[in-house]
Amino acid sequence: MPPGPFGLDPVLWAILRLLIAVLLAVGLVFNGALAQIYLERKIQAIMQDRVGPIHVGPWGLLQTFADAIKLLGKEDIRARLTDHWFFLAAPAIVFSPMLASYVVLPFGPGILGADLNVGLLYLTTLGSMTVLGIVIAGWASNNKYSLIGGLRSAGQLISYEVPQILSLVTVVLVVGSLSLTHIVDAQPGWQILALYLPLAFVTYFTAGLAETNRAPFDLPEAESELVAGFLTEYSGMRWGLFFVAEYGEVTVVSAIATTLWFGGWHGPWTDINPVVGPVLGALWFTLKTYFFVLVFMWVRATLPRLRIDQLMSLCWKFLIPVTLINLMVTAVLLLVFPDTHLPVAIANWVLLVLAAAAVPFFQRRRLVALRQRLAAA
Amino acid sequence: MTYDLIGAVLFALLTIGIVAAAAGVVLINRITAAALFMAFAFLCNAGMFVLLGAETIAMFQVLIYVGAITVLILYGVMFTPQSERAYGLFFQQQKWLAAILVAPIGVAVGMLSFSFRDTGRPLAGGGDLVALATSVFRDFAFPFEIASVLLLAAMIGAIVLVKRDED
Amino acid sequence: MVVPIGAFIAVSAILFFIGVAGVLVRRNAVVILMCVELMLNATNLALVAFSRRAGLADERGSVFVIFVFVIAAAEVAVGLAIVLSAYRNRPTVDVDEVHALKG
Repeated sequence: MPPGPFGLDPVLWAILRLLIAVLLAVGLVFNGALAQIYLERKIQAIMQDRVGPIHVGPWGLLQTFADAIKLLGKEDIRARLTDHWFFLAAPAIVFSPMLASYVVLPFGPGILGADLNVGLLYLTTLGSMTVLGIVIAGWASNNKYSLIGGLRSAGQLISYEVPQILSLVTVVLVVGSLSLTHIVDAQPGWQILALYLPLAFVTYFTAGLAETNRAPFDLPEAESELVAGFLTEYSGMRWGLFFVAEYGEVTVVSAIATTLWFGGWHGPWTDINPVVGPVLGALWFTLKTYFFVLVFMWVRATLPRLRIDQLMSLCWKFLIPVTLINLMVTAVLLLVFPDTHLPVAIANWVLLVLAAAAVPFFQRRRLVALRQRLAAA
Repeated sequence: MTYDLIGAVLFALLTIGIVAAAAGVVLINRITAAALFMAFAFLCNAGMFVLLGAETIAMFQVLIYVGAITVLILYGVMFTPQSERAYGLFFQQQKWLAAILVAPIGVAVGMLSFSFRDTGRPLAGGGDLVALATSVFRDFAFPFEIASVLLLAAMIGAIVLVKRDED
Repeated sequence: MVVPIGAFIAVSAILFFIGVAGVLVRRNAVVILMCVELMLNATNLALVAFSRRAGLADERGSVFVIFVFVIAAAEVAVGLAIVLSAYRNRPTVDVDEVHALKG
């Protein structure tokens, strides 16, 4: 084990590094959540033709701090719960896997927590542990609406894991490694993987929207349905923790999308200087990630909410066949043409156009029924 | 404080975790608490796998067991609510007889398990994902196909069993 | 001080014994399924311990473990489906009371 600076004992240095990494990750998550809460309100306001927060601080920038102070000051309501320890543990179970995902994200060349050679598998595993926390939150609230909301959300999450993982597997097939640094290194310059695998990106993004319980898949936590789903009994900072976990998960999904399909930290001038280069790389990474976060918010402001059966049929009847066909075609083409990636790219773009054109085909029964109802009326 | 001692300390902690969690599953009355203890036992098992140097298997363990099977069991628990009463026939009159019968078996199993010898170092093979995947898809392709057919049959069977008879 | 392989096998045996005790003692069908999962975990631990420490330097132990994962998942799914459909018949999951085939 390497000794620390000033000849520090190696074990102490390892523990100190761990502490610093955890503090950095927590700081990143909370600051990111602060930024995203403000961004969400402003962007939703602009898209809905209003102003958003303008009173607290210049351009309403301190609004999030006001929100945080309000949340911290709320009364901790102790309803008659089925189990107090489960109620307390649920936000932690939802928050911890999201926090642990930040350690493998490549923020810049050489700037990452741990270069696991199974990085994507690690991220997938952590994404599947959130479901447990939501089921426990729904059950521990001793409230039938929370229970239904929690179970529905769990069903949604486990259903949408499948297209998410299949899209990731398509990228792994083309790159040949699960390590996130290898995936970033496989996209030098302008040859981002989004040019080769656009359909995988679209399905991953849609599945990511559903995985993070964001609109239009936010039925479990919507305010007009089921009171607030599994979040009903949580008030104050406990709800704040769920909220931060959701924004953190949005950032992780955007970061994975950036890394896998848009070159990660690649950008102009990342190799001019051993010190300035990585910082610029981190800057490009953050900009690209926040671009996708903004797309998340744009989708939330634009699309109406899906019902639970529409959501499930979208997953099982559309996304899973599409991702499976994508995976199969990519695998076959990679076997037949092992040297170039051009056939894979062509096939993927063709599949993307076909999938987009097939959407009305999947809605045809509903359209026929509508037409019949209109004709009968 | 040497590096090797950390391995032994972690092993002791994980053993306590596994045994306590398993005992919790068997002894606790409330089923949801038992399900969460089971999830904790799965997590400690994954820790054991990491300690043995099989990190990919550990991640599969967490992904499949904690991520999917625990949720499945929690669904099962919540859809079959029972009134709150003692769920187990704990410690009936036969407990001393059972202890007397199990003790020699336990001793024999302990002696058997500690009689295995190893070099103490993890082997060169194993744990690498590429080698594992190559082995599954090349040497064991036929069992892999059978396992996928089994999963398909299980999925269809489970759906058919639970479907209500709607007219 | 490296942990000897016997310790891992002993832990696996203890876990298996507790699983068997749970299957025999508990009456709730879902808890019995949970204890069966504990037994399968014990098997996995023993397999991985042998494969990583004392076997041949190849992948067969890990492949076996993956197949055990698959079969455990399938078994839990079908087992829970059976429990749920039995629960619909008579609202009980007590295995002592589900004896309609007896006599």
